Amino acid sequence: MATAITIRARSRTREILIRLSAYLAIFVALVLTLFPIYWIAANSFKFDIDIFAVPPEWLPWHPTLKHYDEAFIQRPFLRYALNSFLVAMGTTIVSLVFGTMAGYALARFSYPWQWRKQISFWILSTRMMPPIVSIIPLYLFFNFFDMLNTKSALIIAYTAFNLPFATWMMKSYFQDLPVELEEAAMVDGDTRWGAFLHVALPLARPGLAATAIFCLIISWNEFLLSLIITLTEQSQTLPIGIAGRVTQYKTYWGEISAAGFMACVPIVIFAFIVQKHLVRGLSLGAVKG
Amino acid sequence: MSISANATSTAPVRPGGTLERWAERHLRVLMLAPTVLILLGLTIFPSIYMFYAAVHKISPNPDVPWDFVGPGNFLRLLSDQQFHVALLNTAVFTIAAVTVEFALGLGLALLLDKYIRRMTFLKTVLMIPMMLPPIAVAITWKIIYEPQFGVLNEIMFRLGLPAQAWAGDVDLAMFSIIVADVWQWTPFIFLLMLAGLASLPVEPYEAAELDGASSWRQFWDLTVPFLKPVIAIAVLLRVMDALRLFDLVFILTGGGPADRTKVLSLYIYQVAYRFADPGYAAAISLFVLFATIILSTWFMKRMRLAE
Repeated sequence: MATAITIRARSRTREILIRLSAYLAIFVALVLTLFPIYWIAANSFKFDIDIFAVPPEWLPWHPTLKHYDEAFIQRPFLRYALNSFLVAMGTTIVSLVFGTMAGYALARFSYPWQWRKQISFWILSTRMMPPIVSIIPLYLFFNFFDMLNTKSALIIAYTAFNLPFATWMMKSYFQDLPVELEEAAMVDGDTRWGAFLHVALPLARPGLAATAIFCLIISWNEFLLSLIITLTEQSQTLPIGIAGRVTQYKTYWGEISAAGFMACVPIVIFAFIVQKHLVRGLSLGAVKG
Repeated sequence: MSISANATSTAPVRPGGTLERWAERHLRVLMLAPTVLILLGLTIFPSIYMFYAAVHKISPNPDVPWDFVGPGNFLRLLSDQQFHVALLNTAVFTIAAVTVEFALGLGLALLLDKYIRRMTFLKTVLMIPMMLPPIAVAITWKIIYEPQFGVLNEIMFRLGLPAQAWAGDVDLAMFSIIVADVWQWTPFIFLLMLAGLASLPVEPYEAAELDGASSWRQFWDLTVPFLKPVIAIAVLLRVMDALRLFDLVFILTGGGPADRTKVLSLYIYQVAYRFADPGYAAAISLFVLFATIILSTWFMKRMRLAE
């Protein structure tokens, strides 16, 4: 009897200890996650003299919008952001239209000789290709067609990475939809295409939205291809603009903090919109969260 | 399961012209074709073109014709010290970063699974780093690492430790890159592991509990096998991402000091643009391309990811 009580008391203590360490771990993880983001935000609102202060100013005691004015009014960061946005939108539309159709076909139709499996696999493997290996041919290609430094060139290059993603995401969403509804529509006289358009597509709307947002994020964040293809503010995207203010001789800390923080804001909003789809989106539809 | 597209062609006469009926009959091809053609154009064509470039000496001057050098550029790979350094750095970075991210992510997921499952908001907050633009992450860490006024050296000072140059220090540069990458990508492993843990069946654990299996045994004999597919996907995606590391290095160290953080992507970029030798850059790119194709195909086949 007495031993039973000690054992129970001991396991109670253990339970409490585990719970405490879990909450402690959550707290530490939150601090470590949020501090760097807070720090770049705080620096963007400080005067230069406070950015360079030792010991650092933990809070921006003398807040200023000076660096936002420098970046977005005096320097063309608004232009960069607009370019980023337009390129992301273009890429997303192209990827979503073709990716949805391909995803649907791969989820629903049968093909001879295991083509369905082979093509799915091939599309996935194109997503694995490191972008650096395509910079030489893309550069020469766009140079040949006189398309360097255009937003269309960026959209074409980004599509190479977003289209496989969209195809796999939509394939995974369509596979989750019951096929019976489409069959019923066809029994009622709808065509195969009509069943896709009027039945499957509306049901897949949450998946379409999530896929679109992920494509926007991927394109918005992209740096390497834009570095190769763009030359002037006519087509340069936000990450290029930011990197351009980190030079060998001087780093414009305030400006890059302001622009960097602004580049993060839409992403954080998007993250909360797609929170339910994060797992699926980040695993290309392979893991359903 | 899947409906054959042919099924519709046997249905009674439908409205619409010949073209429409033809499209309907070949729908399964027509819906897939644009994506396949676009991807063929954007991947196969560049690969072939790259091979063509790799067997030439290309002058930065567009008026100078390409000079055929055969396998010369590929042979250079064998003797190029800098390429070997880049290869080694990429391997070190990939192994170290993915291992740490995996250990932290899985550990946190196991510890927090029960407690954080319903805290959706908190979970999303913890996921923010991996969504952020890598360039923004890079400048954030650049500010933190800054040797003179950076916040990390302030923390070192408070702890009574000597100040460091971090990304500018020969021995700490790679470490600094890895820390920034771990900060950004541990949430990814954490998230996938949480998803995997949430999908575990309950019954085997109840049975194991009845049999008196220790939680250690339960972890190795139940949790690990059940999580295996999720682990495989998480590791595959992280390794493929780590192999293409560019943005962080570009901003934080530029490959230095003393080439300690020069990774393959950065080296290809430098060869192509700073050293103006696109032919050789194409040869290195082909090497990287084949290495990743072999690695990812082997992995995906093994894990049966395609179906």
